[in-house]
Amino acid sequence: MQLERAVSSPLSAGPAPSPGGLHPKNAVLKQRLLGAEHWLCIERARYATEVWRQTGGLHPSLRAAKALANVLAKMTVRLEPEELLVGNRSSKPIAPPIAIERGDFTFVFKYLLEDLEAFGYRITPEDRRELLDDLIPWWEGRTVRDAKVAALEAQGLTSPPNASPLELVRKLRAFGPRTLGRVLTPRAGAEQPLHRRLPRLLRAIRAGAKDNVKGRGRCTDTQAHIVPGHKNVLAYGFSGIRDEARERLGRATTDDERGFLEAVVVTCEAMRDFSQRFAALARAQAEGAVDNERRLELLDIAKRCERVPWLPPRSFAEAVQAVWFVQNAAIISYGAGSGITPGRVDQLLFPFYEADVARGALTRDDARRLLEELVIKLNDNVVIWPNLGGVELNHLGSDVENITLGGVGRDGRDATNELSWLFTEAIENTSLATTASFRVSAKSPAAWVRRVVELHRRTNSPAFLCDETAIATLMNDGYPLEAARDYCLVGCVEPSGNGDTFGATGGTKVYFPTALDLVFNRGRTTFFGNQDGPDTGDPRAFRSFDELFAAFSRQLEVMVAQVTEATRLRDAIWAERFHNPLISCTIDGCLESARDMTRGGAHFNFGAVGGGGLATAVDSLATIRELVFERRAVSMGELLEGLRTNFRSHDALRELLRAGPRFGRDDARVDALAADVVARFCDLVRAQPTVTGGHFKASLISYGMNVYEGALEPATPDGRLAGAPLSNSMSPSNGAETKGPTAAFNSLARIDQTRIGYGNSLNMRLPIGLLGSDAGVDAVAGLVRGYFKKGGFHVQFNAADAATLRAAQERPQDFPDLIVRVSGYSAYFTRLGRSIQDDLIARAELSP
Amino acid sequence: MRGRVFDLQRCCVNDGPGLRTTVFLAGCPLRCAWCHNPEAFAGDTARWVEAEEVLDEVLADRDFFEATGGGLTVSGGEPLLQPAFVKEVLTRARAEGLHTCVQTSGAVPRDALLAIVGLADLVQFDLKHPDALTHERLTGRRNDDVLANAAFVAAHAKQVEFRVPVVPGFTDDGLEGTAAFVRGLGAHALHLLPYQRTYLDKYRRLGLGARCATVEPAAPSRLASLASRVEAAGVHAVLVC
Ligand code: SF4
Repeated sequence: MQLERAVSSPLSAGPAPSPGGLHPKNAVLKQRLLGAEHWLCIERARYATEVWRQTGGLHPSLRAAKALANVLAKMTVRLEPEELLVGNRSSKPIAPPIAIERGDFTFVFKYLLEDLEAFGYRITPEDRRELLDDLIPWWEGRTVRDAKVAALEAQGLTSPPNASPLELVRKLRAFGPRTLGRVLTPRAGAEQPLHRRLPRLLRAIRAGAKDNVKGRGRCTDTQAHIVPGHKNVLAYGFSGIRDEARERLGRATTDDERGFLEAVVVTCEAMRDFSQRFAALARAQAEGAVDNERRLELLDIAKRCERVPWLPPRSFAEAVQAVWFVQNAAIISYGAGSGITPGRVDQLLFPFYEADVARGALTRDDARRLLEELVIKLNDNVVIWPNLGGVELNHLGSDVENITLGGVGRDGRDATNELSWLFTEAIENTSLATTASFRVSAKSPAAWVRRVVELHRRTNSPAFLCDETAIATLMNDGYPLEAARDYCLVGCVEPSGNGDTFGATGGTKVYFPTALDLVFNRGRTTFFGNQDGPDTGDPRAFRSFDELFAAFSRQLEVMVAQVTEATRLRDAIWAERFHNPLISCTIDGCLESARDMTRGGAHFNFGAVGGGGLATAVDSLATIRELVFERRAVSMGELLEGLRTNFRSHDALRELLRAGPRFGRDDARVDALAADVVARFCDLVRAQPTVTGGHFKASLISYGMNVYEGALEPATPDGRLAGAPLSNSMSPSNGAETKGPTAAFNSLARIDQTRIGYGNSLNMRLPIGLLGSDAGVDAVAGLVRGYFKKGGFHVQFNAADAATLRAAQERPQDFPDLIVRVSGYSAYFTRLGRSIQDDLIARAELSP
Repeated sequence: MRGRVFDLQRCCVNDGPGLRTTVFLAGCPLRCAWCHNPEAFAGDTARWVEAEEVLDEVLADRDFFEATGGGLTVSGGEPLLQPAFVKEVLTRARAEGLHTCVQTSGAVPRDALLAIVGLADLVQFDLKHPDALTHERLTGRRNDDVLANAAFVAAHAKQVEFRVPVVPGFTDDGLEGTAAFVRGLGAHALHLLPYQRTYLDKYRRLGLGARCATVEPAAPSRLASLASRVEAAGVHAVLVC
């Protein structure tokens, strides 16, 4: 029986949850989370703006510190009756804190609030008025985004959609009116008819496309994507960090240094006062508590909040509370959509667990309850987005807070510990879309790998990461061995140092198929229609595949140069004006250098450039090589005509192209092409410096954006239609895996993955029925081990079959917790946008 | 040396230990009512393939075999209708250090078994039904040679697994008899392969009618009770699914 053909059953068919099951109080918290409405809470925006208004001219670190202190002092604090772990981030259960100074959501609020509301977001009328009439107008021209767009425009790096009649006709031919319309309209329609919404939509699109970098590059307004130095808070508390800042202040030589260090003092004390607010709330609730058990719990909560994160924790419960305080406050400080990651939680917390258990102060069940609650809280996030342009990110858990479990320790020995197992149980019991990364090394216990595979029976979340590949990758980028061994996964699957790195692992991106589009149109992209790249000559005059490949490489080179230049301009704005002393002061290096992380204060500094649609581009190149240059079955002219008309009345051509060679079939020749493209890309990216003194690193991850990424891409020579999804991450194209998982693994393993500094992701389908037997579990564990032995970096499995997914699409009410992996992170299938659902179904269906 | 092969599937489970690549050889002396591989003797999927070619594709998954204790499985149809080819494939696989498994219906000349029995690390031997006449009704042939060959393999193979397809209304009444028979051969276990409706899809694609088209797969409770009857007959029942 072939793996892919195993008979599937719905996810619910798994065995009962692990010992004990979800704690009843946590079951309530989970239900509340799943049932909660999405709100827009403007407290973060309001209280930060209050300070910004009064502090012009202040050192940027100090300004940020005072703004955060004001937010933490005035925002609503909440304490739910079931909580042991406290710390909310806004006034409502699901309400992402809005970092208004970034400006990345401003155009959404201005033009698409109705669409957000139609999509289920709520905002009170007063907040709405304050946001639109007071806060946003004050920030006009002052945000990161405004400054970034101005800088990009000044440097001639933007490429707004060209709406000249000629270009419009070209676009319409290449995409067709229906595809274009789909791209431009939010899916969940507001009540208004389209013609009434259109002016608003067009304004939104114009504002949203303002920062399109030449060559279809994307450079978001945020940096972030970082692992805060939780380890330092656990070791020293914010009191210790403050004392160190004070001591360093004595040695400060410039106003800049003093500004930063004073900001750290303000921040640390703000963190102390913030936790004291929860202590006071808990004591107040304890006074009114009728239930004696709850009263005692509340008093314990109060005691913990009186101590951490100001002082170092003395117990497991204090340590978990401290980690949550830091994680929560870091997200408040940076705002939603920042990819802030707790890191190696099993390693961070283990010493406290071990000590408590040794002195008989903690049972396994009590520890599990706390971890379950932590896991539930880590799922309370969402990206604010109205589903415009095919981006559908506004589902619960989309603003990933990835946790890393297992793997080797700094000494190189296997560090999988009791907490790795307990976290796994907590993830299983909660059965939420927890984004968790499971590190696997050759030294990992076989039972551990099996246990993680078995998680698929209840939740689809586990991602497997290969220690050997990841550690070699970090060392290639300059980490010493010990620090490399301590890597954590940031965002989706980006490997980064543990609290010692300003990594900004996401946000900047280019698409490989765009390089081909630029070649075909002599430096213009079909969608945007401007002269973005060099004229690499008339493709019909290319005499060999090598000439075509040289033109492709040249376009890619210019794309990378443009998008990294744009990113440096953006980073310079952050460095100049928008600091984050909270995250900075926890990270190794910033105190000693007395510099904010945005100014290169951390030990290690990098930037990121993602590459999208690899397999789409590689399949296209391989198909051209074979059909145009080798078999001469198609001429370049015919091909271009097919692409420019989206194959309308070119069905035979399209069929020929679709039968071309594919990446993912263990075909050494195609795979070599993929390896070549990736190696070139990684080298181009690595050669680019960041403003923080490091270099850029490449990644090949889609974060579920491959649907959106494809929406703006014309038809490609692999027979893909205009607007269809690009291939996802480093995975083969949908339908290419006709030879099964091992062939796909072999293809990917031909790429030197240790060059891809910020990782790559492989999404693989797995029939869940397979996991019903021990043999199936062993088989999956063996697939993971085999792939990692060959140099693979990451793999994750989607266990649901196409039939289950289709049923869930039709009857979402019956599948509230069907969890799928999208691209490096987990999501509730029924909460995903229709087009992502369709893509996942297509992927599941097309497998043999 | 070439053989007639109708499929090669990588990444198989339940065809022996670990992850395996299974080569399906064309042709079969039987015509089981529920046959799950009708391509073996119908349709035009079979082609002539060099043993070396088979090995090339099999070896591509060596790392996955090593990670799981898997290897190569030769299946069919009835692979031992092409004993020389099987012998060559197995010899090459052993030279590469791969674990080898052969699946057989047992309805083959003794010579064919003799040729491979020393080369296979595992023989998976199918027993359809213990009763000769029922066997003939179900498969088109009596089972005398099958039973004799089963005894031969039990005595000479490095490792043998006896397996019964559990097809409700066809084979399930013979399970106890088969269990008793293999116990008599000194085997400790009988592997039960539950019939799955997905096979019907193949018939549809090949344009064939299936005699078992109306059979419903055994429910888990039914499988459990069949398994306990096998256990009662003195051998361990292993459910393969
Ligand atoms: S022995 Fe196997 S291949 Fe031959 S007819 Fe029976 S089930 Fe089909």
